[in-house]
Amino acid sequence: MNNPIVKSPTAAVALALGKDAHASSWLGLIGAAMCAIWLLVAIFGPWLAPHPVGEVVSDNVFDSLSAVYPLGTDYLGRDMLSRILVGARLTVGLALVAAVLSSGLGTTCALLSVVSPKWLDELISRLMDAFISIPSKMLALIMVSAFGSSVTLLVCTAVLSYTPGAFRIARSMAVNIEALEYVQVARTRGERRLYIACVEILPNMLNPVLADLGLRFGFIVLLLSGMSFLGLGVQPPDADLGSLVRENIGGLNQGAPAVVIPALAIGTLTIGVNLFIDRLSSRRNRRSGGH
Amino acid sequence: MNSNTLWLIGRRLGAAIVTLLIVSMVVFAITAVLPGDAAQQSLGQFATPEQVAALRAKMGLDQPGVLRYLHWLMSLLGGDMGVSVSNAVPVTELMAGRVPNTLMLAATTALVSVPVALILGIGSAMGRGGRIDGFVSFFTLMMVAVPEFLVATLAVLIFAVNLGWLSALSYASEITSPLQFMRTYALPVMTLCCVIVAQMARMTRAAVIDQLDSPYVEMARLKGVSPVRVVLRHALPNAIGPIANAIALSLSYLLGGVVIVETIFNYPGIASLMVDAVTNRDMALVQACTMLFCTAYLMLVLIADLCAILSNPRLRNQ
Amino acid sequence: MSDDKNGIKDQLVTGTESLRVFEGLNRGMSRRHALQMLGVAGVAAAGAGSLFGAAGKLFADEEASPGKGKPGGRIRVAGISSSTADTLDPAKGSSSTDYVRHYMFYNGLTRFDSHMVPQLELAERIDTTDATLWVITLRKEVTFHNGKALTAADVVFSLLRHKDPITGSKVLPLAGQFDEVKANGTHEVQIRLSGPNAELPSILAISHLLIVPEGTSDFSQGIGTGPFKVKEFKPGVRSIGVRNPNYWKPGLPYLDEIEFIGIGDEPSRVNALLSGDMQIINEVNPRSTTRIKDSARHRVVDSPSGNYTDLIIRQDQMPGQSAEFTEAMKLLLDREQVKSAIFRGFARVGNDHPIAPGARFYNADLPQRTYDPEKARFLLKKAGMESISMPLMCSPAATGSVDVAVLLQQSAKEAGLKLNVNRLPSDGYWSNHWAKHPLSFGNINPRPNADMIFSQFFQSTAPWNESAWKNPQFDQLLVQARGETDEAKRGKMYADMQTLVHDHAGIGIPVFISNIDGVDQRVKGYGTNPLGGFMGYMFSEQVWLDA
Repeated sequence: MNNPIVKSPTAAVALALGKDAHASSWLGLIGAAMCAIWLLVAIFGPWLAPHPVGEVVSDNVFDSLSAVYPLGTDYLGRDMLSRILVGARLTVGLALVAAVLSSGLGTTCALLSVVSPKWLDELISRLMDAFISIPSKMLALIMVSAFGSSVTLLVCTAVLSYTPGAFRIARSMAVNIEALEYVQVARTRGERRLYIACVEILPNMLNPVLADLGLRFGFIVLLLSGMSFLGLGVQPPDADLGSLVRENIGGLNQGAPAVVIPALAIGTLTIGVNLFIDRLSSRRNRRSGGH
Repeated sequence: MNSNTLWLIGRRLGAAIVTLLIVSMVVFAITAVLPGDAAQQSLGQFATPEQVAALRAKMGLDQPGVLRYLHWLMSLLGGDMGVSVSNAVPVTELMAGRVPNTLMLAATTALVSVPVALILGIGSAMGRGGRIDGFVSFFTLMMVAVPEFLVATLAVLIFAVNLGWLSALSYASEITSPLQFMRTYALPVMTLCCVIVAQMARMTRAAVIDQLDSPYVEMARLKGVSPVRVVLRHALPNAIGPIANAIALSLSYLLGGVVIVETIFNYPGIASLMVDAVTNRDMALVQACTMLFCTAYLMLVLIADLCAILSNPRLRNQ
Repeated sequence: MSDDKNGIKDQLVTGTESLRVFEGLNRGMSRRHALQMLGVAGVAAAGAGSLFGAAGKLFADEEASPGKGKPGGRIRVAGISSSTADTLDPAKGSSSTDYVRHYMFYNGLTRFDSHMVPQLELAERIDTTDATLWVITLRKEVTFHNGKALTAADVVFSLLRHKDPITGSKVLPLAGQFDEVKANGTHEVQIRLSGPNAELPSILAISHLLIVPEGTSDFSQGIGTGPFKVKEFKPGVRSIGVRNPNYWKPGLPYLDEIEFIGIGDEPSRVNALLSGDMQIINEVNPRSTTRIKDSARHRVVDSPSGNYTDLIIRQDQMPGQSAEFTEAMKLLLDREQVKSAIFRGFARVGNDHPIAPGARFYNADLPQRTYDPEKARFLLKKAGMESISMPLMCSPAATGSVDVAVLLQQSAKEAGLKLNVNRLPSDGYWSNHWAKHPLSFGNINPRPNADMIFSQFFQSTAPWNESAWKNPQFDQLLVQARGETDEAKRGKMYADMQTLVHDHAGIGIPVFISNIDGVDQRVKGYGTNPLGGFMGYMFSEQVWLDA
């Protein structure tokens, strides 16, 4: 459910992830298109849903594609198209917010710790390390029991789970940049810490932060279904895309669209976002002439 | 290894102890705050208040939390990890039954996935922008995007149910021959490879490309060194740091985060033990599992950093 | 699924010794007659056999008898869960996987046959004159796995330990009625109950009251008198039982070895069966039954049971205090849809009382409550509760409750009621949420008799009176029925109790859920039991392998 791998890829890697993106630009175009489509679905989807998402409309479960139910039916005989249209908004919205927040929070803490005195840096780093080691199930359970289960809380838990990773990456990059000459120059110039963090360091690590955000987005999409399973966040009859795959897994052996389509949806969404971010980064690079 | 490196190791070990202490306190605080304690969990749906009270007293749960924590900490310092409250078995015994399984699965997976990831990563870095690179990039992103339980279930369906080649379950039964080992471990290892190869391959590619862009590699290339040699002799050594870090992080995941794979293949490892422990509010066991995972994580990261430092002279004197 | 399930199927090995009286009771014989019989002759072997032969004969043929099966072989069986909380202590058994293990390694004084009728097991005779004072004569020459002979002291220990809260027994309230349990000599036990209860033989058959050696404190060795001996027991990993060569039932068990594990994930469990890794699995999702049926090498065993998932409407707080609201909620349960959409037909429609169709004392004359959103809307309006909004708590812990909640939410919408479904984690659901909100779901596993269900879940003072329903008339009937010796009158009382629960209690029971097991075709002798899957958890002694 929680994936420690993504919690902390290293700085150099992320830096490289950000700048190698001039690969094929047609991939970037595909990515942009996928993102646009999913964004539209997320905005207008729920209004287009032909049936209420909780209503049992058919006696047949795991139905295949048909004119009446374009994406078939799910394990209770509910219309899959409606469920995906509603689930897409939840998934796109929640994952986007959570990914942006965790990256933002992680980066802010990283900048803070780099320009702060050593003891504060050390304290923040140790706390983040400790956070990575806490069983994610415990984290989810404590959130549910302490604050009830709401969508806001789901986002908070996802942010809490992924901030330490974002922090680790951002901090190691910030340390490298901070050691560079022009930052030292700024420092001797007597610039304020906040200025150094925001003007000198941040712009030079934005690409890798964005690249990291893309991968993080993919993992949060998958995390959501695990959290829903524990009773956190999205409540029935609504379901995010990951939960749709999970609840219909029984239809896998017959290749039911109820399990294939949401899996494809997650795939295109994640790939789209990452390709799009690659493209953004490469554009930024070209404008600024590399680094 | 110079004094700087030793100093780094010493400092990191010190920090590790502090981190472990923080983790144990946080975990304890969470267990204390979570509704329902070990007594209630053990009695289940039809518990009566007097039973809960009696069992609580028996388990020592009626003492103040701070006292229980200190007691646990003191025992730990004395080398005693405590007794699991749900079935009165010493924690060390429960762990001893699971740790070898987890290590076995992690080692096998690492043995398969690391070379594959390196080849994919280096290969696509060498042909960057080309067809192979595009394909690998797409393929690896795809792996990131497919839920683990879907990969596992699909693999079982194809290889165990339909084809009947492999075993659907992998619980550590008697393994007598290499063939049987293959049958037992193939599916979980394959599933886990899907999860971590993507990560490692993407990072390897990025790290190697980072080096290929550097002036000294450019120089080597201009001197007419063959591309393969450029990568292996010049780019790769300098990329070892980030790659080692990626591998270390993946391995730490294999050691503590493979709940889904353990559940689906019914493989008795540490991850499901930890989940059980949380469910049963089995404090000593939760602590032991968390400590183990945290230690492994910190050590792996430390080793990766050392690799980075030893392979890159510029970092040694920082 | 944590609960004190109990029960067992099957007949005694030696037919003459079976407790026909109770079979007779279940078949509608007059209770007075039965008690007289008990008083005069005790449950003497020959007497009982001849007196109630007809009733007994009806079922004797389908029961397993020694020599019927083929000895030898090893099978692997997967239950629904396994965790470090797995136990070999019968008192602590909390899931179907625990019960299966317990019936492998231990025996009870009595055991349920496939019709939930208690038969003599370790008891050779059970005598009573007033249903309060009971004398149980033990079978001789029964030995525990460690060679120790079974004596009355073991039985006294096994029954009385439940009364000590430290034991952590799942049946402490049930054991409360054992006022005195003492040994009369080496093979006779005397039990004095706090009040008359003719159902004692069926109470003694539940898995928690299986017999362990006197003074046992470490249960990890699983020393019992049962058909299998513990070869390996690793909580959360697996258990292996090997054939007990000294088993007191000649010729049983058939199998040499059973390996028992838990697979929590249903698709994985079915896959393990279909791939041939497992020979028996339980709790198959109705949607997976077609997969199993399609396989030539496997079959589905569907056993109707008394297991139900119920909507709990607390009667001691609003809005449940309003009788109109309570009735409206029950009317909003679309039972047919629950049965077809959620359970794919593997269920029987319930009528808001806990006695399953076909069970003893089932009130068939009570009109079936059906889905009626219009009437519900009318009632809600009458109660001044139209268009209110209520949270509805459900959890994967209560089988199917999340899906029932979603369907209920849709129906409620039609009656103008807005229900917010709140799915809670399984973890901690029973202790923190079950019946602790105005609207929630519970799950009750089958109980061996009507008295036990009503006393545990519907009596005003019951510890698990889910909806906090208090009805003096019901309480009175319940006590009366326990002491009533006329079977017809007693039946009438239970029928009245069902009507009261149906009309007034805050419990909605949409369906009774069937147990579905998946079994390899080579496994023979595998039947059903209303108490639960795995032949009421007791398959181990009766199945054989026809490879």
